[in-house]
Amino acid sequence: MKTTLAIGVCILFIFVFGSFNLTLEKRVDNFTLLNVNGKNVSTQDYKDAKGFIVIFTCNHCPFAKLYTNRFNELNTKYSNLNVPLLAINSMDTLMYEEETFELMQKKATKEKFNFPYLQDVTQAVGKLFKAQHTPMAFVIWKENNEWLIKYKGAIDDNGAHPKLANSYISKAVDELLNGQPVSNSETESFGCAIFYRN
Amino acid sequence: MNKNMRNSLLILGLIILINWNASAQSYNTLWIPDTLTGTNFNLTIKDTFAQIVNTGNQSITGGINGKFWGPTLIINKGDVVNMHVQNDLNDSTTIHWHGMHLPAVMDGGPHQIIPPGTLWQPYWEVKNQASTLWYHPHMHEMSQEQITKGIGGFIIVRDAAEAALDLPRKYGVDDIPIAISDRDFNVQNQFSIVPYGDSIMANMTLRAQYSVPAQYVRLRLLNAAIETSYNLGFSDNRSFYIIGTDGGLLDAPLLINGATPRFLLSAGERVEILVNFSGQSGSSVFLKAFNQSLGNFIPGGESFPNGPFASFLGHTNYNIVKLNVTNATANPITSVPISLVTNTYPLEQDAALTRIITLSDSAGVTSVPILGPNAFILGHQLFDINTINHSIPLNQTEVWELKSTSVFAHPFHIHDVEFKLLTINGVTAPTYQQGWKDVVLVEGGKTVRFIAKFDDFADATHPFMYHCHIALHEDEGMMGQFVVTDINSVNEISKEEIPITLFPNPAHDKLFIAFKNQAQSAYYVSIKDFLGRTKLMLPQPYVKDGIDISSLSKGVYTISITEKGSKQVITKKFIVN
Repeated sequence: MKTTLAIGVCILFIFVFGSFNLTLEKRVDNFTLLNVNGKNVSTQDYKDAKGFIVIFTCNHCPFAKLYTNRFNELNTKYSNLNVPLLAINSMDTLMYEEETFELMQKKATKEKFNFPYLQDVTQAVGKLFKAQHTPMAFVIWKENNEWLIKYKGAIDDNGAHPKLANSYISKAVDELLNGQPVSNSETESFGCAIFYRN
Repeated sequence: MNKNMRNSLLILGLIILINWNASAQSYNTLWIPDTLTGTNFNLTIKDTFAQIVNTGNQSITGGINGKFWGPTLIINKGDVVNMHVQNDLNDSTTIHWHGMHLPAVMDGGPHQIIPPGTLWQPYWEVKNQASTLWYHPHMHEMSQEQITKGIGGFIIVRDAAEAALDLPRKYGVDDIPIAISDRDFNVQNQFSIVPYGDSIMANMTLRAQYSVPAQYVRLRLLNAAIETSYNLGFSDNRSFYIIGTDGGLLDAPLLINGATPRFLLSAGERVEILVNFSGQSGSSVFLKAFNQSLGNFIPGGESFPNGPFASFLGHTNYNIVKLNVTNATANPITSVPISLVTNTYPLEQDAALTRIITLSDSAGVTSVPILGPNAFILGHQLFDINTINHSIPLNQTEVWELKSTSVFAHPFHIHDVEFKLLTINGVTAPTYQQGWKDVVLVEGGKTVRFIAKFDDFADATHPFMYHCHIALHEDEGMMGQFVVTDINSVNEISKEEIPITLFPNPAHDKLFIAFKNQAQSAYYVSIKDFLGRTKLMLPQPYVKDGIDISSLSKGVYTISITEKGSKQVITKKFIVN
């Protein structure tokens, strides 16, 4: 009887707490990707980082193109608060010629990216995050020496008119910096679909 | 005036003020697609976005040469038209020329898949008479999603017979194309992929209004919806004339009048109508869908409060576009021609056979994702892209008998031909459906018969499609395919290598293919770059004039040439410098 009860409590515990962590605060591993400057960038390089704004974007997607200035602004504001922005291109370069590393380099230079623009050539990081679209944003946060996904979804609620937009990312990061839980931890992402090769 | 009364009047005033404000802001000008004319048409399909909902986020859309939908292609009967379709979508697609009589390999059905980054160049001689056709994606299992994104456009065919008639012909002035559809927007203003939308759209415009001159105006109405049929009429129940159906003009204008003049337009169908606005300057009238009168088993007549088929527009009446009558133009059309064109329809006595196509429900199908309780099927089987369901001899006239045991109505569409409706449940089809058609609504349990001649284009390899034009049903497998075969053509069954020469190599702007055997020719050419990306798809190219390779950047390419008679594929490498 006692054993059954103990197992039951354990299952309940796993169900309540385990599933919470699995669904809302998925753990992601450190990752290392090639930056457009030719050097590898790893999440482990940022010793003081409290978290990261991880944004999946690409070269050709018209909706993603609307966000370049906002990426720079987000990075300017939050990298100083030890929450730097990492932009990742997980698009299949075989299918989409505009997504080559050389064209990523040109875009980053032309549009004066102030953040790393990383190529996920094997799409492993995209799969790790289950990134669906460009743009799609994640906020990961360090807890107990692990990276937990605290927010995923859209960057804000207005692509073409930044002044009218409510930034989901800023709100999430501000709340985390203030030690608060993220009040809106998931929104719908939309833009150009990222297709994964098996 | 007591205090309560004063307060009531104040509230009433406020309500009027709010409503007046809302109504003043509530209409958007109907967007009229740009036109493209000539014989060469450049169409670039891409993922993009548009501000469709007035406030808030933009909607992710698919556009052709623009933000949403595509240009109206104006083409002339007898011309050879060359389409240059560049797929810059994030996904593969196809573009089907709906209603066009053309070779199957140019038809843009599910077999002519255009990968991302690829240029597809079909061409054909326009044999259709003056008519309103359209083009849209036909990628199997993705038609609903890609049509929902807004990919499509009108085709207006002109010919001498139509040009000789005193009909409105000023595009966007007294000759107005209106694609009617509905969409569901989620809280982020993005399209939900659902069969019925909650918001009606005219030319992709929500709450549309448009100025029409005080004279006879021609409306080219297309049902571009995923599923809904629209029971069309006007808010003042005015009469109107039908002058054309799917495949062209009628013999004579047909007056639709009575207490409630209506025309039911199902998915994929077109109708051209003349509406008299003479002497009505300053007034307004709505083109409406009177779907409250539709039965529960007609698309759009359903009324589900929730679930995947729920819609605010189900089984109700709603406005589609507000038409504001302004002053007449110079040289207005003020009368309706007595007669239009002389149509020669196939005769039933000339039919070689009656081909029976069943429409039914297939309980228990689990091999494809099914949104409803059953997949609907044709010929008792789900669509299989590797199965040719029917083979039709070239120039054969046939009666097709569509026998429905389905509970639901389905708009049946056939590629390649325009047909003439004969009977519905043994009774002669209504007059308003007696013109050339390529879509017919087959109501549940009914039998519809039509006659068509399968002429001009034979191809034993590439099939044409027939299917339910409800994109959801089509994606779920309510589709079949047929080939038109020429029994007099001789196919070489040869395994010997076919000698060809490619020149020049390296090439720059043009690449020539020479067959050593003059009787041989190219059926299909595709060119891939060194990484295997398809760059060019050329059905039956004019190889004697050289292939235009000016769109290719420098590099090594592989060309695959399918020889017409043997269907043998020859592969060679060449360099572009």
